[in-house]
Amino acid sequence: MALSRTTFKTLFGIPRVIYRQPLSFPSTSPSSCILSTRGAYERDYRRPGQAPDTRWPWQKIRFDFSKGVEGIRKHFGLLKDEFVNRWTGPEGKPLINHMLEQTQVQWEFRGPESLNQWIVSSDQEIGGHSAAYIKTGRNNTTCFLYGMLCSTPPRDGETRYSGYCTMRSKQPLGSFDRKKHYDWSNFNTLHMRIRGDGRPWMVNISAETYFSHQRDDIYSYFLYTRGGPYWQDVKIPFSKFFLSSRGRIQDDQHALWLDKVNSIGFTLGDKADGPFQLEIDFIALCNDHAHTEEFAYELYKRNPEV
Amino acid sequence: MNVCRHLLWIQCPECVSRFLTPVKRVILPGGPYLHQQTVALQQSQVLRSFHCSAVCSTSQQDQKEPKEASERETQSKDRTLVTHEDIFEKAAKNSKTKGNFNRVVDVFTKNDIRRRGHVEFIYAALKQMPEFGVEQDITVYNKLLDVFPKEVFVPRNFIQRMFNHYPRQQECGVQLLEQMENYGIMPNVETKVLLAQVFGKKSHPMRKYQRIMYWFPKFKHTNPYPIPQVLPSDPIDLARFSLARIASDPDAKITVFQYQTTDITETGEEVLRPYIVGIQSPEQRSLLAKHNHCRPVFVEGPFPLWLRKTCVHYYLLRADPIPPEEKVKKEFDPEWIGPEQSLFYPQRVELDLERDIGDDDSFDVDDVEEGPVYAMCMAGQGDETTLAQWISDLQETCPTLGQIPTVFRLESGPGELLTSSDVQQSPELEFETDHIIEDEPLYSKRVKQ
Repeated sequence: MALSRTTFKTLFGIPRVIYRQPLSFPSTSPSSCILSTRGAYERDYRRPGQAPDTRWPWQKIRFDFSKGVEGIRKHFGLLKDEFVNRWTGPEGKPLINHMLEQTQVQWEFRGPESLNQWIVSSDQEIGGHSAAYIKTGRNNTTCFLYGMLCSTPPRDGETRYSGYCTMRSKQPLGSFDRKKHYDWSNFNTLHMRIRGDGRPWMVNISAETYFSHQRDDIYSYFLYTRGGPYWQDVKIPFSKFFLSSRGRIQDDQHALWLDKVNSIGFTLGDKADGPFQLEIDFIALCNDHAHTEEFAYELYKRNPEV
Repeated sequence: MNVCRHLLWIQCPECVSRFLTPVKRVILPGGPYLHQQTVALQQSQVLRSFHCSAVCSTSQQDQKEPKEASERETQSKDRTLVTHEDIFEKAAKNSKTKGNFNRVVDVFTKNDIRRRGHVEFIYAALKQMPEFGVEQDITVYNKLLDVFPKEVFVPRNFIQRMFNHYPRQQECGVQLLEQMENYGIMPNVETKVLLAQVFGKKSHPMRKYQRIMYWFPKFKHTNPYPIPQVLPSDPIDLARFSLARIASDPDAKITVFQYQTTDITETGEEVLRPYIVGIQSPEQRSLLAKHNHCRPVFVEGPFPLWLRKTCVHYYLLRADPIPPEEKVKKEFDPEWIGPEQSLFYPQRVELDLERDIGDDDSFDVDDVEEGPVYAMCMAGQGDETTLAQWISDLQETCPTLGQIPTVFRLESGPGELLTSSDVQQSPELEFETDHIIEDEPLYSKRVKQ
């Protein structure tokens, strides 16, 4: 059997050269060789009790031909649009609009196809008992997020807290599923028209990052709903968003960079068991000229070495 | 622990000579109070001077009870494995109060100067705190922090500082602060002093305390619609508070139509009349007066409103949005001068100016068409008789309500604001309409006056 030679990073990040036998296809136990794929840093959450993902990297690539001709047509159409739209202006808008506009409606919920851009999840992924659903509101004009929160933690021995649900927008994709980003650098305030039931929500914005340690970086702020039958206009300046990672607020804070924003999300985790509902009319961006604050929290090194 | 003993030998050489003789008088840093305590202590407890905290309890009676309890426990030791949770459960059998909780902690504290097993004890205590009802009490958390032996876990040299000195105890301290953070309790200066004494100034629990003290004050007053920590217990006061909250109009007036009473009918049965609290603003009243009598008004509900952990329900009196063809456009008389009008500034200016893109602050969104809300109420029971009572009480201020047909749309679960068109269009909702109680248009009895 010919031996293949590959470089492989171990847990401690020291590159090593390992001789190992090539695996027979399909492989069932890569752990039979000297070092397995479990040496890699586990990126995504692994539910306790679930076996870790021990596939080799090339086994994780999926070639999907189910979409067929329509998929090809769609992607090439998007590619053509990307080339042609540049003649009208950046992102397909005339340059004068892009430069001067003071408001931009990013998500407007009119019709059921507007819900396709959003992913709803709850703590059922970690084994909890909350439920969250999304539907259009009255006359197909608003987005209605509702469900039931339950904060009993799943009995897997590891998880201690539970009871959350989120609604997150999908990352905008260009042609051939390439990631695109929102450019909100012209604006400084997030404007939402919502109707809640008095519960405190949290708005999370995730921006494009460079290092893998910043994978779970989320900029969040609170969204307090008043409750009642009237719509509530919420304006949150982007300078108020604080940096958190995996639910823990970080020591080194910096302002949210608006030029490459990936997604926005709403999450509820207020430890009050029971039904909840949130109705969103639109989410827009605006420019508040009276707001000159760059960042609301201190930028110097807190917790310094004494 | 060897380090501690070594230090003791250095620091109190005079105590060595007294080691074998009963201690009569020892000068302790804790103050004159502890002097009385040490008379009764055994010889090995001379070391107490090193471990005691600056926090002293002031009542003498508390001292006697845990001592007796600890003596009883040592006597009744039958050498079975007793977990710390069991001790709490034994105390819970009497009554789950703060006093009992404190007593259990005191028993543990007085039992052993070295506080053996304090980490497990603190974890068990943290778990039992919600059952004893003390999870919102900062003094109890400080008392638990006091269980840690002082100055033992403070690193003394650079090697100890490098290598996460006493990691289990530091993790326990962090978990204690984490539970405080979860319940939203602000630590106080006593917590800081205890943490500095127990773990030192640059330990993980101290860092966590610093983070709590940085972020909590920043986020304490971010709610533009704040809810008090203690909600009114009287349901009518709670209804007043929540209706004023959702009304969004400072001119709205709250009226209590009916108080909660228990009437006894002729047959001797008790009939509970629930409370009805309603709210209506003058603007809503004028809108209701102008409402077209051919179109019905709907009583919708119950809608949920969450105030911290309690959910209350409110009901609405609203109408469907007027279709565009029937909308009466308000005609503007340019010569009409209103009461607060200035002769120099006209009410409307006919100018052909349009805002440039750079100055346009409006959003390019179609408005969501919604009907006007005429009144809101909260009632003890959500059944039709109570709400019909509310409607008839509303007629005192709005006499035209008697001629308008009223349709009840009450749902058992949390609902959204439905319209009749919504009910007709989507077939999925047909299942829901089965249990929507739709009444015939109800003409109120007071019309016949």
